[in-house]
Amino acid sequence: MTARTLEPPLSRADDTVSVMIASGGRQSPQKRRDRVAGMLFVLPAAVFIFAFMLFPLVYSGYLSLTRYNFVRQSTPEFIGLDNFARALQDPIVLTAFANTAVYAVSYFVIVMVVSLSIAMMLFRKLRFSTFYQSAIFMPIVVPLSLAGLIFVWILQPNYGLLNHLLANVFGLPGLAQAWLSDGTTAMAAIVVLSLWATIGFLTILFLSGLQAIPEEILEAAEIDGAGGWRRFTEIIIPSLRPTFVITGTWGVLHSLKVFVEPMVLTDGGPGTSTLVLYQHIYVTAFNYFDMGYASAIGYLLGALILALVGLNYVVSMWKADKDV
Amino acid sequence: MSDRSLAQRRLPTGVTSRIVSHVGLALAALLCLAPVLYIVLNSFKKPEDIFQVPPSILPVRWTAENYESVFASGGFTAYFTNTVVITVVGVGLVVILSSLAGYGFAKLPFRGSGMLFAGILATLTLPLAILLVPMFIMENATGLLNTQLGLVLPNVAVCLPFAILIMRKHFADIPKEIEDAAEMDGAGRFRRWWLVMVPLTRNGMILVTVITTYSIWGEYTLAKTLATVPQAMPLSVGLTLLKSEVWEYGVLAAVITLAILPPIIIFLIFQRKIVDGVTQGAVKG
Repeated sequence: MTARTLEPPLSRADDTVSVMIASGGRQSPQKRRDRVAGMLFVLPAAVFIFAFMLFPLVYSGYLSLTRYNFVRQSTPEFIGLDNFARALQDPIVLTAFANTAVYAVSYFVIVMVVSLSIAMMLFRKLRFSTFYQSAIFMPIVVPLSLAGLIFVWILQPNYGLLNHLLANVFGLPGLAQAWLSDGTTAMAAIVVLSLWATIGFLTILFLSGLQAIPEEILEAAEIDGAGGWRRFTEIIIPSLRPTFVITGTWGVLHSLKVFVEPMVLTDGGPGTSTLVLYQHIYVTAFNYFDMGYASAIGYLLGALILALVGLNYVVSMWKADKDV
Repeated sequence: MSDRSLAQRRLPTGVTSRIVSHVGLALAALLCLAPVLYIVLNSFKKPEDIFQVPPSILPVRWTAENYESVFASGGFTAYFTNTVVITVVGVGLVVILSSLAGYGFAKLPFRGSGMLFAGILATLTLPLAILLVPMFIMENATGLLNTQLGLVLPNVAVCLPFAILIMRKHFADIPKEIEDAAEMDGAGRFRRWWLVMVPLTRNGMILVTVITTYSIWGEYTLAKTLATVPQAMPLSVGLTLLKSEVWEYGVLAAVITLAILPPIIIFLIFQRKIVDGVTQGAVKG
């Protein structure tokens, strides 16, 4: 027993020595075995990720420089950057980009405001908070495409729940309409479905961010006599910076990767009014089999995502040093 | 001041603002539950009652005939089987592979392991849209298209990065002394991992199991791309084909209810762990 309790500090010292030796070029056999073992433990997962993510990523990069109609051509034909030039002038790509932007801005702003508000309310630990929290989080476990089917049904003009409530319960029959047959309301429906599916998740993230704010900071603000709104903007928002990096990144990713919602609710219609970039990539690749072009648009989407994730980081951490 | 509870000290507790919060939260909870309740209630309506104008929210005549049709027709068996097989095999692989890799990254760093880990995390931002075309071409060439294995493999790859993130953290939290003790007993690397370390990461493995189950059970994009014929499709894609087949609505409501029930039941059992785990993984990771 005694030997074991003495062991840890000794073995740590031993480690330091062997690391020093290792960095000098010579490794103890034990350390070398550990490194090889480490690689072997990581290898199976790495193979999966290489085969189904890294390799396809590189392959897609190559395809983006080719003309490749999967049905008509046996091999891709190299055309340089033509696909990218074509994409930037293609009216449908620009429409899909504009739709994605409309969706992204509406979704992002609403999801951030609403989930932070709900988190602030849950933070007060009112009676029934646990029930509220479970109910609000629950939609995240419902498969999104099936939630989409349920929404199609709720929005159905003749026997759907929404028109029924508007006309017969709230007495507003003038508002009842064919929601998915009009471009604007169809886009709104897509945003609402996304909100329904994801608000719970972001609420949980904001709530844990709020709970991580040190008690003293909130108390100090109270002693200063800061009112509710001032305390919110001057204490709570700056303290949530790290949380905003995470929720913002997640929100950006979800905004630009939106796909399932329009596929199930509208198929991009009516016309192209709800066609988003992701969906256009899918349609280009698997309905028109124009796979080189689809890869190029995919890369443009990827670049856009990277740029916005970076921007979110910069905005969230803006002046972070000065505040602390 | 001193007799006020901790929660009360944190924010002002005027009666008005408390009422506003209650109303807001109750409304949010209702909106979140409503679509699920709606589909469940519809699944117990007689088909002709579903199309009654004006519709009623509660079933006028409760019936289980929609469920009987689901089981009698057998038309959905392939969707259910595919979803269950893909989810069970996929989750199993993700749990095993992420436990191996998480241990490797946490306890046995090698040259470049930090970069490799960062690279794996970076894949979390990749839009699948970029990868779909090559995946389709690869699976078409190897005959994996429209097979269960063809859906299991990419799902595993997509779920692994987040799972590795969680497992690495859980292995890193195990004190070095525990493993050293096992080492002195003469156990080899692999046996130590299996007999000593893995049992200590039980919470992490539960979390990975639950999150991966949701991801794969409801996965749409890969399945939509790599399963092009109905008999290869899982529920998440197969059921959307029936979107416009109005006469099936009662049966469709029953199938949707059956399809969303397993994830909801798992949620009710594990919700505390999931909420804690998701926040830990996201905030601290």
